[in-house]
Amino acid sequence: MALAEICKISNASYMKPTAWTSADANEDLKTFSCNLANPYTLAAPPFENPMLNLNQIQANSGKTGIKIDFDHGTTTLGFKYQGGVILAVDSRATGGQYIGSQTMKKIVEINDFLLGTLAGGAADCVYWDRVLSKECRLHELRNKERISVAAASKIMANIAHEYKGMGLSMGMMLAGYDKRGPGLYYVDSEGSRTPGNLFSVGSGSLFAYGVLDSGYRWDLQDKEAQDLGQRAIYHATFRDAYSGGIIRVYHMTPTGWINVSNTDCMELHYKFKSEKEAQ
Amino acid sequence: MSNLGIEQFPDYQVPGVSHADFSPYESNGGSIVAIAGEDFVVIAADTRLSSGYNIHTRKQSKLFPLSNQTVLASTGCWCDTLSLTGLMKLRMQNYEHTHLKTMTTDAVAQMLSIIMYNRRFFPYYVSNILAGIDKDGKGVVFSYDPIGHCERATYRAGGTAGALLQPVLDNQIGYKNMNLHGEDAPEVTKERAVAVASDTFISAAERDIYTGDSVLINIITKDGIETQELQLRQD
Amino acid sequence: METLLGIKGPDFVMLAADTTHARSIIVMKEDQNKIHKASDNLLISTTGESGDTEQFTEFISKNIALYKMRNGYDLSPRAAAHFTRKNLADYLRSRTPYQVFMFVAGYDETDGAELAFIDYLANAKSLNHAGHGYGAMFCSSIYDRYWHPNITQDEAYDIFKKCIVEIQKRLVVNLKNFNVSVVDKNGVRNLEPISAQSLTDYNASS
Repeated sequence: MALAEICKISNASYMKPTAWTSADANEDLKTFSCNLANPYTLAAPPFENPMLNLNQIQANSGKTGIKIDFDHGTTTLGFKYQGGVILAVDSRATGGQYIGSQTMKKIVEINDFLLGTLAGGAADCVYWDRVLSKECRLHELRNKERISVAAASKIMANIAHEYKGMGLSMGMMLAGYDKRGPGLYYVDSEGSRTPGNLFSVGSGSLFAYGVLDSGYRWDLQDKEAQDLGQRAIYHATFRDAYSGGIIRVYHMTPTGWINVSNTDCMELHYKFKSEKEAQ
Repeated sequence: MSNLGIEQFPDYQVPGVSHADFSPYESNGGSIVAIAGEDFVVIAADTRLSSGYNIHTRKQSKLFPLSNQTVLASTGCWCDTLSLTGLMKLRMQNYEHTHLKTMTTDAVAQMLSIIMYNRRFFPYYVSNILAGIDKDGKGVVFSYDPIGHCERATYRAGGTAGALLQPVLDNQIGYKNMNLHGEDAPEVTKERAVAVASDTFISAAERDIYTGDSVLINIITKDGIETQELQLRQD
Repeated sequence: METLLGIKGPDFVMLAADTTHARSIIVMKEDQNKIHKASDNLLISTTGESGDTEQFTEFISKNIALYKMRNGYDLSPRAAAHFTRKNLADYLRSRTPYQVFMFVAGYDETDGAELAFIDYLANAKSLNHAGHGYGAMFCSSIYDRYWHPNITQDEAYDIFKKCIVEIQKRLVVNLKNFNVSVVDKNGVRNLEPISAQSLTDYNASS
């Protein structure tokens, strides 16, 4: 080892004994779960352009048998009307062709006056909604005032924009009630954010739009509006293979959100069928 | 260097020469099943570890006890399983030392989700199921996708034969789409949970080349973890 | 698919932008304003990749506002266009380029009217009349035919009408509604939007 001494390479990290000290363990803890302390720091991949590379790994799945199928969410809708905001979603989560879950909660209750819907990567939406929920609570503590829907959606859009091109997949609606009245924003992983009266997001959105646009008026009554949301999602579950399960309807009112109904779409199918036959 | 052949390949594209695709993953196979009851939870995993058509070992446990109330079952890319479960164990120990108490199953479930999401851009290639007794004393199962989407359930199958086992559980434990004449589905007992879990593995060993050899079953109750073993086909 | 139009006159600049917000084959919104007021005498209209447009336009307008706070006077339109171009060019050579197409339009007492065309490669050019997007391809000949150096605001508005009639007649994509804004010595004003409805009894040849 004399030569090593002369060259001073014995000081190099790879020449040190490999025994694992508690300091090393602490260091590992910090680096491999850094996002527990700061949710915005995610591990950097060992390659450039994660979107391209992960897609490549996915594309080679035929050869390698390695398939990384994330859970994906599908049909969601939201609209404003005279009585507040209605959100309606299905509950099917699919990983590739496989139905990972039929009972997923695609409406995240961020706080009593803010709801988020999730379509796209389930983990992406849930993780960042949780971060948003933290930011909203902090805003409340700092300013003694609830955050506006506009500001909350801006936080989300800024996060999405920060990670743009890295392959996140989110299409979410944020609904809430603040000083300006009912609020509905669409935010996606492209970083776009836009307010509106009526949105539908996900693979079944085309079908939901059809029913929704035909039945939508500003002056709908509460019951009519809730039924319209439920009906639009039902028709999407019927036509879109990636949607299904339970149809959840939420209503955002000036006094906070209400979970109106959670109905299995099979049940609705037979209900609507018998209604049609009775006509 | 030239005898290694490195200089023969320029780094720009040349007709007839293609770059090898970057593939840092391997599937080492194995299946996992968990079934929760009122005050217990059963979690089982087979013990075969293979790669392609080679079987590395016939007795590798894929169950990782994180506390005496929580067990993590993990399959997929074995190296990812090792680093993930190693990290989880470290985290559990760290929590115990700083807070002088053991992490509850619900907290472990949330932490696992966040730790998995940390590798969003280079995911752990694993199929995870976490089983344990929750803070109300009820049996509970959490299942995960590769980037940490977590869902609470009462029964769940994962791993290479996950898609084969889940429908069996839907039928035998969930009583899905059955006409129960308005009655609630019967509650699952510990004996039945163990029997169904064992049966699913016996079936999976018949049809999945990556599942076999033997099954390790952990039964978690408020008193701790009990372990059973069941022999499967060795072929 | 989205279309931006711009005309410069001797003492004003007029901008028009369609108001659709589309995602794949779905029209998500029909009232998206793409002409942003950056300061008292400056308009920026933007299209391009969704997300980038909002984020980049906001970044530029906030910096222009900051400049005014620091110095007590506005950035001239020419300087604003240059500032925008430089930022776009720098981002183009970074890991996160912005894919945006924009017009920076303004009026300045000393420099007069300015219409700057900027594309996603940060090509910038001061022009008398210009367009971005597929719709603009139908308009260049209309500009060439009807634009003249002493054009008035009414005439410019009428050219936009002609352009939009043509877009709605010949472009496969449905661009129903266009917002129109003008900037001159009196500042920034929004004009009556031009839509398929408002054009029902409009005769382009009269």
